[in-house]
Amino acid sequence: MDAQVSLDAVCTPSEDVVVREIEGNVIIIPVAAGIVEVEGELFTLNPTGHAIWRKLDGQRTLKEVASALSRDYDAPSSDIEVDVVAFADALRQRRLVVLHEHRASVGSRCTTFAR
Amino acid sequence: MFTHFEIHQFPLWDRLREKRIPLSFDLELTARCNFNCRHCYINLPADDVQAKDRELTLEEIRHIARKAVQMGAVWCLITGGEPLLRKDFPDIYLLLKRLGLLVSVFTNASLVTSEHARLFKKYPPRDIEVTVYGASKETFEQVTRRSHSFEAFLRGLQLLLNSGIRVRLKNMVIRSNRHEFDEISSFCLKHTKDYYRSDPFLCLRNDRDPARNAEIRAERLTPMEIIAIGRSERRSVAGQPAAGALLFPEQRDAPDNALFRCGAGQDSFTVGYDGRLRLCSALCRPDCVYDLRRGDLSDAWQDFVPAVRERCSTRTEYRHACGRCELARINLCRWCPANSYLETGEMDRPVDYFCQIAHAEAASLGIRHSRSDRHQP
Repeated sequence: MDAQVSLDAVCTPSEDVVVREIEGNVIIIPVAAGIVEVEGELFTLNPTGHAIWRKLDGQRTLKEVASALSRDYDAPSSDIEVDVVAFADALRQRRLVVLHEHRASVGSRCTTFAR
Repeated sequence: MFTHFEIHQFPLWDRLREKRIPLSFDLELTARCNFNCRHCYINLPADDVQAKDRELTLEEIRHIARKAVQMGAVWCLITGGEPLLRKDFPDIYLLLKRLGLLVSVFTNASLVTSEHARLFKKYPPRDIEVTVYGASKETFEQVTRRSHSFEAFLRGLQLLLNSGIRVRLKNMVIRSNRHEFDEISSFCLKHTKDYYRSDPFLCLRNDRDPARNAEIRAERLTPMEIIAIGRSERRSVAGQPAAGALLFPEQRDAPDNALFRCGAGQDSFTVGYDGRLRLCSALCRPDCVYDLRRGDLSDAWQDFVPAVRERCSTRTEYRHACGRCELARINLCRWCPANSYLETGEMDRPVDYFCQIAHAEAASLGIRHSRSDRHQP
C-alpha cells in the first residue's frame, strides 16, 4: 500500500522523464520504460497542474509550494494544500516525480515513497 | 490536473505547423552498412574509412540535436546506413532520448547485441523498424549480397522480440525478392508489432553513382506489378480509400512553375552523416544542402530552407507537364524535385517511370483527371 504524501515532502521531476515547455504547454515525456503502456504517450498539464508544477523546484516543500500558490492566487492555503498533495501523489504514482522527505534529502531517492 | 495522451492527438501540432517549427528530423548516423543491398540509395562499405571520418561526432550530434530541440523538435529518426555500426550508438541514442525527443530507429537488426536489447528495453524507442529482404536465406542474401546476413538478421530480430521489444517490419519489394512476396508478407504479419508496410518504390542513389543506379533500376518493379501489390495489400497508395485526395491542399493553386509541393523543409529536415542538412532524405542537389559544420541550424532553417523551397522552374516542358499535372499534386505520383534531380540531374524534369505508375494507378482507381500536355494522346 502506498504511503501518504506528506506536506513536508519535496518534489522533483523523475530522472525517467524529460519535461519540456512547447509554446507555453508543459509536456512530460517518458524516457524510461514502464511509465506509459504505449510508447509515444505523453503527459500534459492543465492550467492548475501547470501552476503547481512550476513551483516544484526540488527545493520547496509541498507546504511551501501551497503557501506560494496561496499568495499568487489569493486563496486559502489549506484549500491549495489539498490540491498540491493530490497532484504530487498522482504524479508520484505515475513515476513522473520523486518525493523526498525534506530538503536535506534532495538528491537521493526516498524509498518511503517508492512504488 | 494532468492527462496522458498519444502524441498525435496533441492539439498543439496544428499550431506548431502553422508556425513552421521543425517538429521532426532524420539523423543519418552513417552511410556505411554491413549489407550491400542491390536497391539501396545510400550504403557505403562498412570499412569505408573516408566515410567514417566524415561522420558527425557525438558532440556534433549533441550540438545539432540540442538546437533542434530548442527550436521545437519532438521526433527524431535515427537511420543510416546501418546505425548500429557506430560503436557510440548507445551514447547517441540516450543523448537524444534525454533531450526529450521521441526517437525511432531504422536498422537491419543484424548487429543487434544483448546490450542493444537491454538499452531498448530500459529506454524504449518510439519505433524500431526492420526491413525483411527475404523469407529464405537464398533470397535474403541475393538482396543483401552478404553471406550469413539472413542468420544475423534472424538472430538480431529474435533478440529484440525475446526481450519484449516490439518491432515494426517492412517488406521492401524489389525484383530480386518479388517471387517471395507472399512469404515475406506472412513473416512480417507474424512478427510485426502492429502493421507492416510494403514499399516497392526505389529511389536512386544519393551519390548518383551510375553503376549503382543501374542496379537499382534493374530491381524496380513494373507499374502494373506495383499496382498489383497495392491491390493485394490495401496498404499502399493505391489501396488507401483516401487516394486521390490532395496531400497538401494548400498546393492546389500553386503556380505551374512551382517545384516544391511537398512538406520537405516545412516541419522536418534530414541531417546527413557528414553534417549536411537536407530538406528531405532525397534532396541531395549540392546547392540545396547546408553544411551544419559551417553554419547554424537556425540560420539554415530560417533562411536557407525557405529560399530553396521558393525555387521555381523556368522550363516550359515542366510547366506543361508536372507543373500542371493533377496527379503530381496528389498522393498518386512519386515525382518531386528531389527525385527528379536523382533521376535526371535537374529538379524540374518529368520522370517517365513515375508518370507511368501514377497514371496506371489513377486508371486503376477510376480517378478522372485532366491530363497535362505531356500525356495528351
